[in-house]
This record gives sequence, C-alpha cells and structure tokens, in this order.
Amino acid sequence: MSWIPFKIGQPKKQIVSKTVERDFEREYDKLQKLEDQTKKLHKDMKKSTEADLAMSKAAVKISADLLSNPLCEQDQAFLDSMTALDTAMRRMDAFNQEKVNQIQKTVVDPLKKYSSVFPSLNMAVKRREQTLQDYKRLQAKVEKYEEKEKTGPVMVKLHQAKEELRPVKDDFEAKNKQLLDEMPKFYQSRIDYFQPSFEALIRAQVVYFTEMYKIFSELTDQIDQAGLTDEQRERETEAKLTELRALSIVADD
Amino acid sequence: MEVPRRLSFPLVLPKPASSARSPLGAAGQTAGSSKDQTGGEKLISEEKTPESGVIVVVEAPPEDGKAARRFSSQDSFSEESSLSEERLEEEAREAQRRAEEEEAAAKERAAQRQQLAIQELVESERSYLRLLQLSTVTIRSNLQQQLQPPPAGLDSMFLHIEEVIDVSSRLLSLLDQKQLQFGEPDFPQSLCDSFLSLSSEMEAAYKEYLAHYNHVTEVENSYKQKEALWNEVVRVIKAAAPDVNATSLSFFLVMPVQRIARYPLLLQTIQKHTDASHPAYALLEQTAHTSVALNCRINEYKRFREVADKYRKTEMLTIKDKIVRLNTHSIAKKTARLGQQIKHEAGLKPKIGVLDVLQLVDEEFDALEGFFYVLENGILELLENVEMYLQHLQGFLSCRTEDFDLDMDGEKAPICYKEITTALRQWILPMFEKRMRKLIHQPLCALRDLLVGPRNLIRKRLDKLLDYEVIEGKPNLSYEEQAVANTYRTLNTLLLTELPQFNGLALQMMWSTLGTFSCLHRDLAADMEQLFHSFAQQLPHSSLSPGAFWEWAESSVLEGARRLQHLCRMVEDKLNAPDAQPLSPSSQRRLKQLTDKHGSGKIFQVMSTVVGTRDLDLNLTKGELVAVISEADSRGDRRRWLVDAGGKRGYAAASKLIRYHQPTDDPPPSPHPNLTEDVTTRRRHSYSPAGNAPLPMSQPCFQVVGAYDFTARSKHEVSFRAGEPVRILEPHDKRGSPEWSLVEVRGGQRGYVPSNYLAIMPVGAGLPPNPGFFL
Repeated sequence: MSWIPFKIGQPKKQIVSKTVERDFEREYDKLQKLEDQTKKLHKDMKKSTEADLAMSKAAVKISADLLSNPLCEQDQAFLDSMTALDTAMRRMDAFNQEKVNQIQKTVVDPLKKYSSVFPSLNMAVKRREQTLQDYKRLQAKVEKYEEKEKTGPVMVKLHQAKEELRPVKDDFEAKNKQLLDEMPKFYQSRIDYFQPSFEALIRAQVVYFTEMYKIFSELTDQIDQAGLTDEQRERETEAKLTELRALSIVADD
Repeated sequence: MEVPRRLSFPLVLPKPASSARSPLGAAGQTAGSSKDQTGGEKLISEEKTPESGVIVVVEAPPEDGKAARRFSSQDSFSEESSLSEERLEEEAREAQRRAEEEEAAAKERAAQRQQLAIQELVESERSYLRLLQLSTVTIRSNLQQQLQPPPAGLDSMFLHIEEVIDVSSRLLSLLDQKQLQFGEPDFPQSLCDSFLSLSSEMEAAYKEYLAHYNHVTEVENSYKQKEALWNEVVRVIKAAAPDVNATSLSFFLVMPVQRIARYPLLLQTIQKHTDASHPAYALLEQTAHTSVALNCRINEYKRFREVADKYRKTEMLTIKDKIVRLNTHSIAKKTARLGQQIKHEAGLKPKIGVLDVLQLVDEEFDALEGFFYVLENGILELLENVEMYLQHLQGFLSCRTEDFDLDMDGEKAPICYKEITTALRQWILPMFEKRMRKLIHQPLCALRDLLVGPRNLIRKRLDKLLDYEVIEGKPNLSYEEQAVANTYRTLNTLLLTELPQFNGLALQMMWSTLGTFSCLHRDLAADMEQLFHSFAQQLPHSSLSPGAFWEWAESSVLEGARRLQHLCRMVEDKLNAPDAQPLSPSSQRRLKQLTDKHGSGKIFQVMSTVVGTRDLDLNLTKGELVAVISEADSRGDRRRWLVDAGGKRGYAAASKLIRYHQPTDDPPPSPHPNLTEDVTTRRRHSYSPAGNAPLPMSQPCFQVVGAYDFTARSKHEVSFRAGEPVRILEPHDKRGSPEWSLVEVRGGQRGYVPSNYLAIMPVGAGLPPNPGFFL
C-alpha cells in the first residue's frame, strides 16, 4: 500500500468533451453488442453442428446394429433390406460430414476468429480508460499546484507534475483517436465478413438435402411399401399389434 | 339296396313307432339306429311335403304289394292251414294299412319333432340375441349414464360381446335370407350351411369371450362387494329388462357361455329327428360334429389361455416376499430343477426325449427360442438407438441458431438464413419429430412391451420341462404329477404354435418400421431441399456453379480472416503494446536493478497483492516487479516460484505473476528528458558495484530534494525540509521495502526517510545544485 499524501480530486478542466465521450460510448456499445451476438451465434452454431453430427451418427448406429444382428443371418431378404439401409445411412453420414466440414470452415471458424478480436479491442478500451484516469489524476494535480502560491517547493512539484502529465496526455489522445477511428471501421467490417458465411451455410444445406433426397428416395423404393399415408401406417401397425396381442403368449394388459 | 331293407322292414316295424313315441331326446342311440332303418321311408316323405301322407299311401301299393306277397309267402311257409287266404290277405292288408298309417304318423311325428327342434334352435337364437343386445345396449348405457361415476371396469365386462352378437345376428340373417319355413325340407340344409360357414368366426368370437369370462365374473364380484353400487346396478338391470327375471349382469353375460355349449345339443336333436335318408342328414351330422369340435377347441384355448396367463406375467416381488414364499415344496421343486439342469450341463443325461419325435420338437423349439431372443435383442437395440436419435434431434432443435442480431438487416443472406432456420425449427423438424415418435417410436415401445409375455413363458417352460423330465420315466403318475406333465405339454404346445406367429409378426413390424424410417427421411429431405432451394436462388451468388461458389466462399472467408488479422495486429500494436503508464521512481529503480542482475527475460510483475501464508513467502503489492530466480520451490513445487523482489528473496505464487514486457529494450528518445533512467542509474551507483558509472553529462541536471518537510521520529530516521537536497544511499530499508530510503542529508547525517517524501527536479529549476552531494 502506498501512502497517499493527499487526496486526488477531479480536474476542473474538461479533458474530454462530452460529444467525444458520447460517440465513444455509442461505438463501444455497438461493439459490445456485436461481441455478445457473435459469441452467441458461434456457440449456437457449434452446438448445432455437433448435434447434427451426433444425429447422423445415431442414424448410422441404428442401421449398423441391425446389420450386425444375427437376424440377418436367418433371412436373406431382411439382410438385403438392412444392407440397403446401412449403405444409405453411411452415405448420408458422409455427406453430412462434408456439409459440417464446409460449415466449420466457412461459418464456425470465421465466427470464432471474429470473436477473438474482441478481447484485444476490449483491452484497448480498458487501457484507454486507465490512461484517461491517469490523465485526469495528473491533470488535477497540476491544477492544484497551479492554484497554489508560487513558492520554491510548489514550483518543483508543479514542474514534476507537468512532466508526468505530458506523456500521459499524449498517450491518451493517441489512443482515443485511434479507437474512435477503428471501432466504426471494425463494426462495419462485419457485413463483408459474414456475408459469405451465410451464403455458404445455405448452399451447403442445399447440396446436402438434394443428396439426401436422392438417397432416401432410392431406399424408400427399395424397403418401404410405396405411398402409404401416416394414417394407413398407423392402422397397419395397430392391426399387427392387435394380432400380436390376440396371441395367448402375449400379455394383453 | 332297397330290396333287402324292405325285406326286413316288417320285422322291425314296431321299433320306429315305439322309439318315435319315446320322449324327445330320450334315446339318441335308439333314434340313431331307428333312423338308419327307417331311412327309406323318410326319404320318400321328405322328398314330398310333410303333409303328403295321402300321396305316400297312394304311391305305396305297388311296393307294398310286393312286400306283402313276400310276407304272405313267408307266412304260408310257417302257417299253412290255420287261416284262409282271403282272411290272411285281409289281415295282412289290414296290418299293412295299420303299419302304413303308423309309419306315416311316425314320419309325421318325426318331421314335427325335427321341425320343433329346428324351431327351438332358431327361436332360442333370436331371444338369445335379443337379450344380449338388451344387455349391451340398454343396460350398459343406462349403467353408464345413471351411475355417477360409472363403475370401474364396466367397459371391460363387455369387451368381446360385440363379436358374439355380430356372429349370432349374422347366423340369423343368413337363415332369414332363405325365407324358408321351419318345416320346409331345405331348411335343415340351409341351417347347416349357415352354421358351417360361420363356424370359424363363431369360434374366434366365442373363444375370446369365454377366455375373458373369468374377468367378467371378477368384476361383477367386485361390484357386489360394494352394496350401494350393487343395488343400483340391480335396479338398473330390472328397470331395463322387466320381462326377464334378471338380477345380475352375469345373468346376461353368461349367456354366450351357455349358448355355445348348447349348439351341439340342439344340432344333435335335430339330427336325431331327421331321417337318415334325408338329403341334409350327412350335413347335419357333420354340423353337429363341427359344433362339438368347436366347443373342444374353445375349451382347449381357454385352458391354454389360463396356463399362459398364469406364467407369462413377470412377478414383481421383493426379496422379502420371495423369502416368505419359500417353503419345503418350492425348495424341493427348485432343487430338483437345478439338479436336472446340472445333469444336462454335465452331459449325464441327454436332453429330454428318448423319443426322436420329442427331440425333433425340442430342436424346433430351440430354433424358435433362439430366433425370439435375437429378435428381442434387435428390437431393444433398435428402440434404444431410435431414442438416442430422437434425443440428438431434440438437442439440434434446442440450438436457436436463428436467434442472433448482427445488425445486418439490409443483407440478403442472413435474412434468408434466419427465415430458413425459423421454418426449420418451428415447422419442419417438429413435424418430423412428431412423425418419428408416432410411427416409429411408439410402435417399437408397444412391441417391446409385448415381448414380456413370451419371454416369461419361455423361461417357465424350461422350469416345467425340468419338472417333467423327473417324472417322465415313472409308470404311474399321481394326480399332481399328471398336472405337472400337462402344464409342460400345454406350455410347449402353446409356444410351438404361437411363437412362430409372434416372431413373424414382430419381425414384420420391425421391418416396416424401418421402411417408415426411410420414408420419413425422404419426406424430410424433400421439404428441406425445397425450402433451402427456394431461398438459395435469392442469394447474390446463386448463379455460381458449386465449384466456383465454394472457391469464392472459401477465398472470401480467407480474405476476411486476413483483414481481421491485420486489424487485430494493428490494435495490438498501436493501442495495447506500450504501457505508457510511468512506473513510479522506485519501481523504475527496482526494474533497472533486477534487469541488470537477472536479465530482462526474468522480470515479472505482480498481478494482485499477495500476502505470504507460508514460510519464506513474500508479501508483494500489486504492480510490484520481481525477478524470477527459479520457477519452482525447493521441493520442486512449480506453483511457487523463488523470486528476487529487489533485495529480499522468497517465494511467490506463480499464478500471481505475469511476465513484464518492457516497452522497448531501449526506450525511444522522448521529448521529455529521460529523467528516471538517469536518476536510477546514478542512484544505483551508490550501492551497486555492478552498476554503470553515472553519466557525467546528466550529473548537473538533476537533484534529489525533499518534497515535504519530514521530522525524524526515532534515531534511525533523519529530518529534512522541503526543497533540501539529499543524497540517497539506499532506495529501500533493511528488509527491502521501497517505502523507506536511506539518505544522507546536509551535514552528513544519515537515516531513513519515506521514499515518497523525495522528489527529483532538474538542476537550476529552483535551487542551486550542490555538487557536493553528487559523485
């Protein structure tokens, strides 16, 4: 703990004009919101692609487990069906993997990179704030000595304070200008930056679902009774279940 | 064929008459034999109308004459002389006429009885149906409406009765269609046809009803225990059916049970009163047999159901219950089973059946059982995987990726993306999920639940098989042993007949589920493709071919990344790098000292104030500079570093230290004089032999002076006045604290003073330099 000989008050002179401060606040608020949204989007995208992959893997597991089930050894037709199913699932998974890779490359990674800029920006803003505080403190000190009687020791201190103030002031002004300059530019850059990502996101899905449709149309023709409505399916299932429940060996309660 | 019959006819003539006179249904056996013999006559009378007794008489003479001639010739052999021929002839004619009359009367009576029997069947069927309908429609709905709340399990009482009613009403309507009177000769035929055509449906309807009937009585008994409820029930029943003296629900509900057993009796009665020569006779016989067989099958089914019901349920018992249930009998049973099993395992005894047939059956069963287990496994696995899939789908749905605001409202791509994702999350995927649950998940769950029964029965069959083997060899079986053997056989038969059906159906269900799975995916893909495609066309780069598009996308992303990196570096460089906050003079001195001693790479800054808690720990303040001597303590703990805090040494937590980056190794020439550097250089010279010699040119420029008046409070301290030049001997106290400095004041007095009472100022600014204080 340093021993503070006197309390440092706020400088009377306005160091930063109100408009400049307001501009700065506004730009910084926008950036903070952008940061929040980018982070959120990145998180959601990442989670979403992970869930997408997991879903695809689960689908592959469905068919793979069936294919390795000994049921297939007993029934050639069943084996054929399962082989077709498994092939379709694997193809789907491969396409999905490709889609996810593309999204990773063109959407998730850029999002991550974009949000990685914010910490250094925040740091810069923080540094500016620190410098501003120093600036204010030193300014107040200088003002204090200026108000005092011009005796020898006071002159010594005034000089000392001014010497201390000058670099801090320069530094602050440089930082302030730089930030006021950079922040809007950076904010503006998001449009060009994200545009290709969103387009790629949509295009990747178009490709994927076109392939999916082809794969599953083929498979459905192969293993499904064509053109049943959901109600028909339900009725059929219910009929089979009723038939099963009618068996004495099946508990019907 | 007819001739020999005619010959014997007069001899047995009284028989049909007497048997015909016997009460209805009294002697089936005699009726059967008499029918055989009277078949010829019946045939005639049946071919004509029943009332055509006259025609029979008219037509009869030629045949009868023949018969009579033979008769008389026979007579003439036995009694040649006693009566005249005429008289004989007359008598014979008389007898013949009487016989004919009797015969006709018998025929008529038989026909009437047949008609009565048929009528009884049909009428009783009608009233039976009426009462059933009364109970299911009126009584049931009255019970439901008038009793609040409706009694529990009421619906389950009427579970299979509709099928019974249906089959009964169909039987009647089939009969009505023919529009025949009971007496018409075609009627038995049409009755039999109707009955036979419905027999399989009848069996199906009644067997379910009968198997279920125990439940009906159970429910009714439960009602009877609640007196108020039961009174109400009886009241409703009486009000609904005043004409019959019904006092309980089972009065009606037992009817199908009685009815199905009555069919064989009724049919047999009809058959009994039907002449063997009747065209429908064989059919009637067949029908009667069918009805008997039907009853047998229903009974068998009921027995199977009972056995199955007993064993297929999983018993949910706690260990305590199980212990309570242990007794000598059960222990003996289990031990016997275990022993038998061990014998099998050890190969001491061949698996059941010395008989090859049994062995074959057993192999068949093993195959079925194996298939069942494989199927069960497959279903459970599939269900588990489907559940997993749905879970991931849920996870995917919970990612609200459209919910962001990058303030890019003017741009096409993000807007499209938002719309797509909204549609996807709120409409397409929930729909897909709903269908998945309804068409795949639910059926699989239902199927899984159905697996329990067969599984338990298979296990129980093994138990019973072991029991059975023990008693198999015995020549005489006690009643209990017989029961055990029967149970095993029943279980075995049941499983052998029904397990293949079960396996087949379950496999089909699984299969069709997978077909549905594929179909759902296709539909999903179709929806998605359409959705994405319609939006993709609105995008600015939609005209590019896929290859070109991806090239463009990737290069734009790379370009974006490059620009971003550039910006980032700029920010880092220009805004963050130089920490322009000046170090306090004492820190500057410390920095210099440490840099000289340890090199600039070892300098660290304390991030937050540390209070030492262990031996040799240092107390450090935030922002203080230290040099790291070793990145571990003496015991090798890498979390505590040995540091030099400008004189004193000790340990500090590594986590609190951060590498201190000096602005630049050589501070750039700044507009203001590089005072601190000079001062520390000079200062250091006073106590550090390793330090550089003070720069001569800087010597006259600066002077350390007292910034405030200070009065010594002890003999270790020294007093001075503000503005008084002092000479610093050591910039810290004996313990290394920089807050105190050892100085020499005018007059050579030495002592400690607070470091922040000292100031540096250029020579000539205020006071004249005193070279005496400088080296």
